[in-house]
Amino acid sequence: MPDASYDAVIIGAGHNGLCLGAYLARAGLKVGIFERRHDEGGGAHTDEATVPGFWHNLHAQYMEFIEMMPFYRDFDLPSFGARVIKPDAQVGITFADGRPPLVIYRPELADRTHASIAYYSRRDADTFAAIRGKVLAANDYISAMLYSPPASEVKLEGGRSEAIMGRMLQLWLDLGFQPQEMNKCPKVLIDEVFESTELRATMYRQCVEWGANLHTADGFGFVMCVIWLCANHYMSIGGTHTLAHSMAAAALAAGADLRYNSPVVEILNSGGRATGVRLKDGRTIEARKLVASNADPKTTFVDLIGWDKLSEFRKERMSNWRFGPEHVLGTPSFALRAAPDYKSARHNPDINKCFYTIVGFENAQQVSDYILQAYGGQIPDLPGAGTWVNSLWDPSQAPAGMHTMNGWFFFPKASCLSAQEWDNVRRDYNGKFLELWNTYAPNMTRANVIADKLYVSLDMESRMAMPEGDFSHGRLSIMNPGMPRAHIYRSEMEGLYMCGASAGGGGISAAGGYNAYKVIANDYGLSKPWQRENRLY
Amino acid sequence: MSDATFDAVIIGAGHNGMALAGYLAKAGWSVGVFEKRTEEGGALCTEELTRPGFLHNVHANYHTLVGICPVYDDLELVTRHGLRYVQPPVQMASVFQDGTALVVHTDLNKTCESIARFSRKDADTFRAVYEEARGYRDLILRTLMYSPPTSMKEITKALVAWGVEEKSKYLSVHLRHQTINEFLDHHFENDRVKAHLAFHASLAGYATDRKGLAVSFPLLLSKIDNWHICIGGSHALAHSLWEALAQAGGRVFLNHGVEKILVENGKAVGVRLEDGSEVRARHLVASSISLEQTFLQMIGRENLPASLTAEVEHFPHMDSTFFSVHLAMTKLPEYRAASFDPDVNQAWVVNLGYENQKQFNDDWRDVRAGKLLNPRPNAAVNSLYDPTDAPQGCYTGLLRQMAPYNLAKGGPQEWDKVAREYGQRCIDVWKTAAPNLSDDSFIDWATYTPLDIVRRMPNMVFADWIGGLIDLGNMLDNRPGPILSEYRTPIANLYMCGATQHPHGFVTFAPAYNALEIIAQDQHVERWWK
Repeated sequence: MPDASYDAVIIGAGHNGLCLGAYLARAGLKVGIFERRHDEGGGAHTDEATVPGFWHNLHAQYMEFIEMMPFYRDFDLPSFGARVIKPDAQVGITFADGRPPLVIYRPELADRTHASIAYYSRRDADTFAAIRGKVLAANDYISAMLYSPPASEVKLEGGRSEAIMGRMLQLWLDLGFQPQEMNKCPKVLIDEVFESTELRATMYRQCVEWGANLHTADGFGFVMCVIWLCANHYMSIGGTHTLAHSMAAAALAAGADLRYNSPVVEILNSGGRATGVRLKDGRTIEARKLVASNADPKTTFVDLIGWDKLSEFRKERMSNWRFGPEHVLGTPSFALRAAPDYKSARHNPDINKCFYTIVGFENAQQVSDYILQAYGGQIPDLPGAGTWVNSLWDPSQAPAGMHTMNGWFFFPKASCLSAQEWDNVRRDYNGKFLELWNTYAPNMTRANVIADKLYVSLDMESRMAMPEGDFSHGRLSIMNPGMPRAHIYRSEMEGLYMCGASAGGGGISAAGGYNAYKVIANDYGLSKPWQRENRLY
Repeated sequence: MSDATFDAVIIGAGHNGMALAGYLAKAGWSVGVFEKRTEEGGALCTEELTRPGFLHNVHANYHTLVGICPVYDDLELVTRHGLRYVQPPVQMASVFQDGTALVVHTDLNKTCESIARFSRKDADTFRAVYEEARGYRDLILRTLMYSPPTSMKEITKALVAWGVEEKSKYLSVHLRHQTINEFLDHHFENDRVKAHLAFHASLAGYATDRKGLAVSFPLLLSKIDNWHICIGGSHALAHSLWEALAQAGGRVFLNHGVEKILVENGKAVGVRLEDGSEVRARHLVASSISLEQTFLQMIGRENLPASLTAEVEHFPHMDSTFFSVHLAMTKLPEYRAASFDPDVNQAWVVNLGYENQKQFNDDWRDVRAGKLLNPRPNAAVNSLYDPTDAPQGCYTGLLRQMAPYNLAKGGPQEWDKVAREYGQRCIDVWKTAAPNLSDDSFIDWATYTPLDIVRRMPNMVFADWIGGLIDLGNMLDNRPGPILSEYRTPIANLYMCGATQHPHGFVTFAPAYNALEIIAQDQHVERWWK
């Protein structure tokens, strides 16, 4: 006798698991979500990591998919407490020599973006505006590509699969690129399209943030994803976890059960069909209809099903499995008395109130060298970072008058360093960054820092069950939406589905959960809200 | 958020706020709970303070009313909403300098055997108190804790009418004039037995030298073996409360701090949030947070009669709080005293250092004077009984030390300066008692000071973790004072349901449960739970 029984058992309460759980519960299934950690949200996670009262997003920082995300709208997440804002000045780079910053503003403020880029190159400013305008005009179709499972899994209604791909190809050609240029690596494409080192540095960094390999991934993806979403970033008021909490609340309100501290150690199967899970403490949970995994493919297939039970196809896939990308986030958290005041701000004060500010790089080459070191398994010598001071917009994230900062370094994968070496990185690297930061913003002194903490690849692995610190569940092409990745939603085991980043991509898009629901709705004859409302996706 | 309307607006998503919300939601009301922090649960707060995978209960660690408090069953927290508890068979221990140990088990015989190694007479007395109190425990807790309070006078009358002096050996109307120390001295003979029982009272916030607290002591002893660990950390209780509430249609809004309680014509009609939006309440607003926040900030002195302001300002806060060290460990402690009683290594909570009542008395006196005490922490290793709270092969440890909020030298801010060194001193005490522990046994450790309590929990004014002094003058119908007691306020439709109300904080749920009773009377809620 199982200890509990559900129609659908979901492994992992990351945001994709919550999304799938909410849709399945709303469709009338009895849903149980089983989470390893003591909290929901996975990478959508906020902690008082330095001093109580300072909230730090240790993982997911900015939300670039809010406007497109079906989960957000279908479940009216603001009615469950989600609140987001989109700062005007979005992505900026600042310079130690005090030259003007380059600031990219939210899309509605294209003129200001143009003026900022034009200081360094009018041609770049025109090019950026032209490319961005055309990409944004295709917004619905790019979104549809993200929020649709590949046609190989579910044939979209009314020729939509073809329409979406057709629109993408048309856009590529409209941008003046040749079809064969799709596979140029982003660095080459950026260098060909933009001339100023300031804009190139910014674009390199944005590309890397996406988890894309600057030097080997595809240029098509760079344009479609990075240009599309660059500087369209939302911040979750109250920290990223507040957004995850609203997602969990939506799933609970739809009737799903959410079980914490309940690591799944085995996916049970019988006659080739997934029938439930076994938890670490020995309890078994029956899945009358299906099991969906928000975990990565290696964990799902090798650890939870077991090598001996895998099909030949899956064994071959798993033999060639590698975690990726080659670089992983390292998150510095600083509790600050005052927000940084950059030298570059004398030219444009917006850099002091820029949502995401790149610190530590004077030119594009330094960004490229930095990331090559991380790819090569080393801690970058130059401790540059992307930085956010969320308390500038949301004072609740720090005590009155003070500020909370988070950043992203890029580090090698967890296994590249020993535990002792990671301890050293934890101990030293923030200090090195602070020294560098001080050359950009003279008020960033030790006296301005109340406390700091560094969260490294190894912490990400142990906290989030993201092996190696891999936030995208396998090395990704930057262009994963809509394209069949190595691992897709419907597995070869009847009743077993994938719903996490391996299928839908990393980032808080909820595409993995939403697309898994589309596939499952198709297989089990569940309600299809996108059809009822005749939406593109 | 955009403006909204609920039947009930609850301020604060601590366990009391969420429990009240859960009952009302299950009665069919629309309920919105508004929380300033980015987590629900208030003191049911579990964080990875040291390293990932180590779950540290930052505040509430001990759940003492499982199986007694009606909320668990009414809201089906265990049967439907995933809550799990473990009751450690070896509950607590005191280890003494000479290598002896006193151990409390869930098995009464074993506890008595342990006490008998110090005093046969005390073992017999303990058994007699325990069994007697056990007999009337549920009745009295129901009457005293899980009902709106009656006055001490009424209780005394009832006890006399029942014939307490004839029928009971340990209960007496005179206890209301006695300290726990006096009770202990009257009935027990051995210093260490008394020290352990005083330790038990102290853990629950009951000072051993405070007149009148003897009234509760037999009841405390009757549940000396009812301390539970919430599997997966105390925050798991918050999650189960949230699930019960959310599945009943209620909503919890995190980071939606309340700025003002809206009062029109003497009635509470809703709240204004920090983001400026207004949330209307059709029937009531209930506050589970501090008196200071509720009245001085959210209503405002200018809108309050002087008598009420005075009551809030003179409300006595708890006279001691705690300093904690949270540890990520690779070893379980093996106590020197294990050669005397091997069970001590299995004890969940261990008193390290209190050997007699005088040490307690001195510490209570010194802590009230703002002194940093010579550390006599208690050590709890939840992983002994909840392996989910640490990575495989590792353990999560907690040292708790009685401490003042306001240090006489330097004030509360001084805590930032002394924390690390004081933490090390607490650890050193542990290492002395359990010599197998060395600095290598700790992967990392973090301190959690009284100042940190205030930073994290704005509700805990002066790091007051139990919502007001535990004192006979601040109990029953007198808590928190004549105007604000008994869950109603002078503002119609504004109720108090948190730790400031009878009986007090701790994971009792009693303030919410009793507020619910009052609300049910006032607002004609159908009592589905009775």
